[in-house]
Amino acid sequence: MKLLVCIKQVPDQESRFEPDAAGVWYSETDVAFRMNEYDEYAVEQAVQLRENLGEGAELTVLSIGPDRVVEVLKKALAMGCDNAAHILDNDASRKDPWQIASIISSYAEDKGFEIIFAGMQSQDRCSAQVGVTVAEHLGFACTTTIVGFEYANGMITVRRELEGGMKGVVRLPPPALVTCQLGLNVPRYPTLPNIIKAKKKEITVIPVADLLSEEALVATTGFYPPAKKCGGIVLEGDVAELVDKVFVILKEKTAVLR
Amino acid sequence: MEATRQIYWNIGHGVVIPMYLLVFAAVGVMVYGFWRRLPVWCQGKRLDRFDRYDERVKRMLGEVFSQAKVTRVTDGGVFHAIFFWSFLALLVGTTLVMVQADVLTPLLQVNLLSGEVYKAFSLTLDLAGILALVMLTGLFIRRFVIQPKGLEIVNDDYIVLQLLFAILISGFLLEGARMAATELPLKTGLELFSPGGLLAGQLFTSLTAETLLVTHKILWWFHFALVLGFFCALPHTKLRHIFTTTANAFLAPFEPKGFIATINLEDDSAEQFGAATICDFSWKDIFDADACTSCKRCQERCPAYVTDKPLSPLKIVTQIGELAESNPRGKLGETLSQDALWSCTTCRACQDICPANIEHVNKIIEMRRSLTLMEGAFPGDEVRTAVSNIEVNGNPFGFAYASRGDWAEELQLSRMEHDADVDILYFVGCYASFDKRNKAIARNFIAICKAAGVKIGILGKEEKCCGEPVRKLGNEYLYQITAHENIQRIKDYNVKKIVTTCPHCFNTLARDYRDLGLDIPVEHYSTYISGLLDAGRLRLASKPFSFTYHDSCYLGRYMDIIEQPRNILRQAGGSLVEMDQNGYDSFCCGAGGGRIIAEERLGGKISAVRVKMALDTGAPLLVSSCPFCLTMFEDGIKTGGAEGLMQAMDLAEIVAERITA
Repeated sequence: MKLLVCIKQVPDQESRFEPDAAGVWYSETDVAFRMNEYDEYAVEQAVQLRENLGEGAELTVLSIGPDRVVEVLKKALAMGCDNAAHILDNDASRKDPWQIASIISSYAEDKGFEIIFAGMQSQDRCSAQVGVTVAEHLGFACTTTIVGFEYANGMITVRRELEGGMKGVVRLPPPALVTCQLGLNVPRYPTLPNIIKAKKKEITVIPVADLLSEEALVATTGFYPPAKKCGGIVLEGDVAELVDKVFVILKEKTAVLR
Repeated sequence: MEATRQIYWNIGHGVVIPMYLLVFAAVGVMVYGFWRRLPVWCQGKRLDRFDRYDERVKRMLGEVFSQAKVTRVTDGGVFHAIFFWSFLALLVGTTLVMVQADVLTPLLQVNLLSGEVYKAFSLTLDLAGILALVMLTGLFIRRFVIQPKGLEIVNDDYIVLQLLFAILISGFLLEGARMAATELPLKTGLELFSPGGLLAGQLFTSLTAETLLVTHKILWWFHFALVLGFFCALPHTKLRHIFTTTANAFLAPFEPKGFIATINLEDDSAEQFGAATICDFSWKDIFDADACTSCKRCQERCPAYVTDKPLSPLKIVTQIGELAESNPRGKLGETLSQDALWSCTTCRACQDICPANIEHVNKIIEMRRSLTLMEGAFPGDEVRTAVSNIEVNGNPFGFAYASRGDWAEELQLSRMEHDADVDILYFVGCYASFDKRNKAIARNFIAICKAAGVKIGILGKEEKCCGEPVRKLGNEYLYQITAHENIQRIKDYNVKKIVTTCPHCFNTLARDYRDLGLDIPVEHYSTYISGLLDAGRLRLASKPFSFTYHDSCYLGRYMDIIEQPRNILRQAGGSLVEMDQNGYDSFCCGAGGGRIIAEERLGGKISAVRVKMALDTGAPLLVSSCPFCLTMFEDGIKTGGAEGLMQAMDLAEIVAERITA
């Protein structure tokens, strides 16, 4: 059984985001990158299934982006994926979800994948469209935001997270695509022998031009932080000093003491 | 007639051959007993502890004959030392008698043991015997009557104490019987030089000459048999420590304290990292179990054990010994719980006090390495998060790596990337960079350096966690990645000297990074400030205050920096009230060994226990020189109910307050 897991390298959410020169996306200066959180759950679930299936199963991890995305591919390989496909695209952040999905589906269409795992959404773009669009392109059954996964007797059974903490159970036969949500599993920490083994695993590099024929349907035209409307002040020190400080603030900035 | 005694009196020289044969046989049994242990020890991995032979021998003789390590704890230790010296005197005396009787007399016809020499010899040995008996009685009372907490009574203790009592008492009875027949009736005054024998001899004065001779003969053989028993029992009881603990003084490492072997991560033939079974330890780690006498000194100083966590360094050592015998290929995890291993703060109190040179800490780190590198295990989810934060942002908090130098925004400090021509590179560390309370340490240290005219540079966003917490948690892989990046940066800037305010960074950069190729001098700010004061570059106004000082484990025990911070604080006008556990005996704050990034879920709070010790001094101020310690004490003061009674401050804060232009 052939399995695919799609992952994205995203900026760490603690990074300081500044608009890039064109003002349509964030600048990569001083930004730390990591694997998209939801994709980590996807990788973990895919690896667990891969381990259960044992001999004959093959798990490929795919990522689109510039050279730096090799870091997350290596991590996925160290977690237990068998091989990796790196769709080399230095301009991936300018592509819309339709194009990204098209790239993935044209990569996957002739490979015979039976189950595809993806994160529910990326932490930077947050479109939540790529997984479902890939499923549509490939004619796969699809379900989203899964928090439980089971594969038995040729049937996938998943638990989905619904509003208000409700859960739903969905069954779907392969070929299928699922998008993964927080709570699905605890992603493993790669062991050192697996990190070393991963260094020898194959990473196939494919230029994006080989796979992309679609035009963008959506264009991002602006990127900016929310306007600063109000702020909080935290005062620290001895109580006596604090009283003075509060008094000054109330006097200068409010009308209560006038 | 000259004072002397007839050796083999009443026994006859005919006994010499059978006696020596029996002695050789007993020694043979003893050697065989140890020989049988050899395969147990050899299950461990190779490790060279036979280099620098002369220094090793010197250290061994020094430690054994001075009894310095044993006497560091007076309870039990002083008794042990006096017993050792007395018993040694008896051993030397007996050997002398043998040499006299079987070498000097028959071959050279010389009698050394005569006249005044004999008197002195006789008196010395008798007094040694009495002293040994008194000490043995003291140790007996300690173990069986007083029963100090944690001192377990095992079968060995009965056997060993009985045997030693029997040897000493039978020796005196034997001497008494001989004197009752020879010296006592003559009353030449010679008997006064054998006070023990004189006393014991009173038991025999009423016996007929014939009965006396028979009694003496029986006693001689009985005493001899006991000595043979001593040899035979040696490898099979705690008496083995006479050999194994002595050997451990020879085998102790020469590497600087806190040295941990750097794993070769490029070795793709390696299938196991760290210790998962006994065979993954070094042979010395297994041998250590045989050198242990269960004196429980390690255990009673262990901050984890004292606060009711499931760790006893003593148990770790003995369990390794038991497994080496019973199940050397079994998983260590089945016997040694993860909770126990994660509880260690690597404070080194156990290893520092151990009279047997046992290396507790690295055993625990080796086992943690296996948990982390082979199983991807963590002490808790918060540690998983912190580790992932270090991977992504180079700090355990998860703050953006680019904000690492923000604390220094208004200080006009040179960043190495812009200006690397500085006197010292200040390696700030994660806590002083990001933690609100600890930023004060960094700012005050900068103020101190500025006052002394020192030009400081920082790496800012180019600095990463030194890797200490993750290394101590066993994650050698992440440690080496961050270490290599730091080393590369530092080397790029042609740095002359590095100063740290964190003892953990200090240990890592000064010692651990050597192994990875950093050879720039590294200093802790306590000694650096001390140097500035000595050179007259920094002057302090003495403002009186009362304080107690907490020695950070990684500063005191690991790096022997104990007096310098105290001297600085005295120069600043401080009057020091010491806690009972200070200097090398300091009690950990609870943050070492990577515990700083872990929640303390088991047992009591170590920091609160330490804060209580500080409160007991009556001083209102607890000074430390470590960001981890300060963090723990701020917490310990709150949770330990000491708010308003105790304040925690850093050395740099005290000094900076007193700078005079």
